[in-house]
Amino acid sequence: MKVLNEPIDMVAIFEKTGKIKPFKFKYDDITVSIQQVQKIYEEKLAGNRRICFVCLHNGAHLYEIKYEVDTCTWYLFKK
Amino acid sequence: MNNNNHRIIMHIDANSAYLSWQAISNLQCGSNVDLRTIPAAVAGNPKKRNGIILAKSIPAKQQGICTGEPIFQARLKCPELILVPPNFPVYMRCSHAMFKIIKEFSPLVERYSIDECFIDFTNMSTRFEDPVKAAYSLKERIKQELGFTVNVGISTNKLLAKMAGDLKKPDRVHTLFPSEIPQKMHPLPVDKLFMVGRKTTAKLTRLGIKTIGDLATYDVKSLQYKLKYFGLLIHEYANGIDHSPVRPSNRFEMKGLGNSTTIPFDITDNKTAHIVLLSLIETVGMRLRQAGMCSQVIEVSIRYSDFTHYSHQNKIDHPTHCTHTLYEEAKNLFNQAWKGDPIRHLGVRVADLCSEQYFQLSLFDDITQLNKLDQIDQTVDDIRKKFGSYAITRASYLHTRLKPLSGGIGEEGYPVMSSQL
Repeated sequence: MKVLNEPIDMVAIFEKTGKIKPFKFKYDDITVSIQQVQKIYEEKLAGNRRICFVCLHNGAHLYEIKYEVDTCTWYLFKK
Repeated sequence: MNNNNHRIIMHIDANSAYLSWQAISNLQCGSNVDLRTIPAAVAGNPKKRNGIILAKSIPAKQQGICTGEPIFQARLKCPELILVPPNFPVYMRCSHAMFKIIKEFSPLVERYSIDECFIDFTNMSTRFEDPVKAAYSLKERIKQELGFTVNVGISTNKLLAKMAGDLKKPDRVHTLFPSEIPQKMHPLPVDKLFMVGRKTTAKLTRLGIKTIGDLATYDVKSLQYKLKYFGLLIHEYANGIDHSPVRPSNRFEMKGLGNSTTIPFDITDNKTAHIVLLSLIETVGMRLRQAGMCSQVIEVSIRYSDFTHYSHQNKIDHPTHCTHTLYEEAKNLFNQAWKGDPIRHLGVRVADLCSEQYFQLSLFDDITQLNKLDQIDQTVDDIRKKFGSYAITRASYLHTRLKPLSGGIGEEGYPVMSSQL
């Protein structure tokens, strides 16, 4: 996996329970649907809250997307 | 007195705060270089002439880089030094996050500076068994959650806790209880003692005092004779005596306030100097009005391009917080003080403060005019508060390279470390 940390356009579901479900995002004009979220964790490095989603694509490719709480921005962190 | 020895005070200090915070922030944003592991430093901008080292990494420290030295000097010592510009919003965020975690450990927390705080851990045995264990868990939590390391010093007063925290860095917990003073504190060089700086060290060396232990056993009357009250204070500190409480707010009663700025070029004419003075007074005046104070003494300080320093002050007839009056006075002071040499740095300071609610006017003051000026200041303040500092500025700054408001540290102020514990 390569670290990118690039902001992305995202469609996500913010459930009434407070849970966030990423649905699909656009990167380099390619739309990627989130097929499977393997792990969710929160990081607070340097006091900056980010909710991290480790996702699996086509059963083989792992990538990581992060939601930055303060700025409401989604990042494609690793692919 | 006895109670003081039963207190448990902790001092928490982030290791090379600005640099490690920047390093963590960069790592979080995908950087593959950890600034803490290479010779790196946070430094100002040499083009704006505020290019000094603000914080350095441990490898940079090993190469002899000191905080406060100019960039070119640092580069001579270490040509491969990586420099990063300061980023105050990141530092404030890190600082807030750190204090949020610390607050979970004790209700009585004193935020001593952006990266340091004291906590009163007395009577916490019901919640935490052992203060040392609690300190370790606090240190580990900050490391795991926020990614940077801290030093924790534990003792019975603030001075000893601070001295303990400075013993060995990084990522350590140290205790310095009164019984440990002879082994842990007395062998240290005297300049490691809180409040003993370069100048005092030179004076103490002349008296034959080299270590904190020497100072602790020195005749207190001779010290008082040589250094006055300060001699007594550092003698007490060398013996580990300090009774200051942990204050939830570390703001002391304000005696004066001021702002200063280093100008990106040398000022050689009156007009530019006046404009810079005005930009400083805009900030000073605003702070004065926010505090609900008026001032009667105004001081202008000038640092020339050869780093010589001069200041001039005057007491005016009636207390004021009006930008216009302060500016007129500062202009006069500047004209009297300036001999025409190129100026590098200008500062304005106000002192002799009193409440704005009641003050004595002089016989010749024009009350209508004063009220008018007061209303203008109030309106400008309100506009800046609502729409931002630069929402309204003076036309004299148009097409100049100068900032309409100068001085201060950034968007959000933070507690600046004081010399009082």
